[in-house]
Amino acid sequence: MAPSVLYHCPCFSRHLVPPPPHLASSSHSFHPLHTLFFCEECDAVRCNRCVSVEVSGYYCPNCLFEVPSASVRAEKNRCARNCFMCPNCRNTLSVVPSDPPDVGDGRIAPISTVGEPPFFLYCSHCRWDSAEVGITFEKPTGLAAQLQKSEDSAPDSLEFERLKEHFDPIIRASSLSSSSSAVPSSAAHSHHLHSTSITAAASAALARDIPGVGRYNPLSRSGRGTGSKDRSANKDEMPDYKSRMDATTASKMGSGGGLPDVEFMRHLENVSDVASLEQRWSYSWATSLQTKDLKPLRIPLHSKRSKRCPACTHILIKPEQKAQSVRYKIKLVAANYLPAISIALPHQVEKFGHASAEAAKRPYGKATVLTDEEKEAMSGLLAGETYPFHVSLTNPLYDPIQVKLSVQRMHVAAPSSDPGTASEKARRPPFVVSLSTTPFSVAAFAEAWEYDEDDDILDDDELEARLSGREKEPKPKTKTVGILEKRANITVVGGEVMLRKEARGNVKFNMLVSYTYRADDAPADMGSPSKSKAPATKTFAFYTVVELGPIIPREETRIDVDT
Amino acid sequence: MAPIRDKFTIHSKAVVCQDVELKGDITIGSGTIVHPKATIFAVAGPIVIGSGCIIEESAIIVNRRKEVMRIGDDNLFEIGSRIESPSIGSFNTFSTRCRVHHTVRISSFCVVGAGCLLVPAEDETLEDYTVIYGANAERRKWSGRGKAQEADLRRKHAEYLREMLPKFNRLRRGEASRE
Repeated sequence: MAPSVLYHCPCFSRHLVPPPPHLASSSHSFHPLHTLFFCEECDAVRCNRCVSVEVSGYYCPNCLFEVPSASVRAEKNRCARNCFMCPNCRNTLSVVPSDPPDVGDGRIAPISTVGEPPFFLYCSHCRWDSAEVGITFEKPTGLAAQLQKSEDSAPDSLEFERLKEHFDPIIRASSLSSSSSAVPSSAAHSHHLHSTSITAAASAALARDIPGVGRYNPLSRSGRGTGSKDRSANKDEMPDYKSRMDATTASKMGSGGGLPDVEFMRHLENVSDVASLEQRWSYSWATSLQTKDLKPLRIPLHSKRSKRCPACTHILIKPEQKAQSVRYKIKLVAANYLPAISIALPHQVEKFGHASAEAAKRPYGKATVLTDEEKEAMSGLLAGETYPFHVSLTNPLYDPIQVKLSVQRMHVAAPSSDPGTASEKARRPPFVVSLSTTPFSVAAFAEAWEYDEDDDILDDDELEARLSGREKEPKPKTKTVGILEKRANITVVGGEVMLRKEARGNVKFNMLVSYTYRADDAPADMGSPSKSKAPATKTFAFYTVVELGPIIPREETRIDVDT
Repeated sequence: MAPIRDKFTIHSKAVVCQDVELKGDITIGSGTIVHPKATIFAVAGPIVIGSGCIIEESAIIVNRRKEVMRIGDDNLFEIGSRIESPSIGSFNTFSTRCRVHHTVRISSFCVVGAGCLLVPAEDETLEDYTVIYGANAERRKWSGRGKAQEADLRRKHAEYLREMLPKFNRLRRGEASRE
């Protein structure tokens, strides 16, 4: 595993300091930078766990038709136009005409452009066609409507409709009662209201007493059968539901389950006769086990979602309404605000380069056998050694920033695998990270053509550091901590990690990154006219967790080196 | 091993581009199209290709056996396919980057999907209308519905190539068989 950096999102936790990296809760609160958002109002990072999500539109991924939300429910979340999925391989199906009738003289008759009815659905990937399951069409248009009839007459669908009818008055009654109690029934709250009425009905149904089971009563536990008295008072009392047909005979109607399936499995000769789980998974209704019964599926709709900041309800990201468009109307992603950090282990880069060259030499087929173990061994860090690492920061802002890195002290030592070690040793952290804490600058982001070839304008002290580095260039390993490289909007800083002899686990530490930027020219709006004002600075700090790789314990060292 | 003797017999109506690697005893039937950069390699026995086949760029056809490798009519070998099967029927499609081992004989109307590996250890014959698809080279039987339209499309494809390829490529003439 390559070394990685994840960013912290506090998610409204009262502790702004993230948990120590060796705890399980650590992985929960750290995210890759590209999944994070940034709220300008709150000046805070937001992650996918804490934003509130709302659907801004539904569309069919195949025909890119935007489906109004009213018809989404009516069409059962699937495309109601001509988009179908192959039941065999999940490819999209196309409507094709039949072959022209055979003339008989061996020559193929000229094929008309209109096409010969009947039409059927055809998969160009696995060559499944709907004529195999007896579905053909007279016209090549409005296929969903033509299929709708058979879909609606399926026993499961009818049963579901009946159930909906049955529960409809109850849901309406409870929604009325809840709406009367202070909640204004505005359109904005309709979703909220809807969910409460359903949950109310569900909780009432759960609270009902079951015949033969003692009713749970926190006040009078001894009382049994007191439920009968309450029955009349229960406002959610509903008539018993009678199903359309007996559940025991339902399997004969092709809905699956029961004796017919057992019988089928018993006489099975070919595995491919049974539809795989993957093939049956995306069906709305229970289907038969047999591959030959699989029907074409209407393609499930996708949704475009916009996300809001949970604190100030400002929109963080909002896609364009059109399904064809992949752009966003609003896009406040963290990558545009926080410096992007990447970590590299120089010794590993050398090793990896060597390994890939070696793999290229091997015959084809064996190249993939560069096993995980080998990679593990390469990415591992030997206990007792000291490794340099490079932190490179890329500034996305149009202003230069001053960055300060500081490694969070580990308060609790990583759990030692063998409890026999001396307590004093166990309390010491398994590794020590040395990283310069002096602030350094990262140049502003500019378009590629704005950079000069030799645009190496450095501050005095940095220049000095650079020069001293240059003097030592014949043996560059002497300098590992401090600023190593500056180009464009990227600055590379070196650090060092020293592993203890008894170290175990992963080299993983929290790092606080704080950066200072000009506040009047706050992120995103670069064209602010108030440049003459004395620039007020603002500081933003965030935590990251850096993982350098697993530690290879001392004992195994020999073996790993050999591989 | 004796050096491979080159002997190319190319029908006058076939379109074989100059930039094609041919080796061994090869016969190419009428109306067959061989794109530039294709490879036909008769290592041991000769290769006989029927009429109306389309062999696209960087497709490789190899005969490792002593017997004649017979390829029927109207087959399509797409870009980067590698075919070694000792006999091939008609109207087959070998999709992009698929690979068929010399243990498989292919009947007619078969489709080997893109990137499929067909490398059984024992000899076998693909029956008519077999479709190989997906990453795991799953198999199923095609009903054959729509084959007339596909054949028609294949002919039009070949016709178009016969017209267009000579405009932009030098062709190899078959009359002169070289040593």
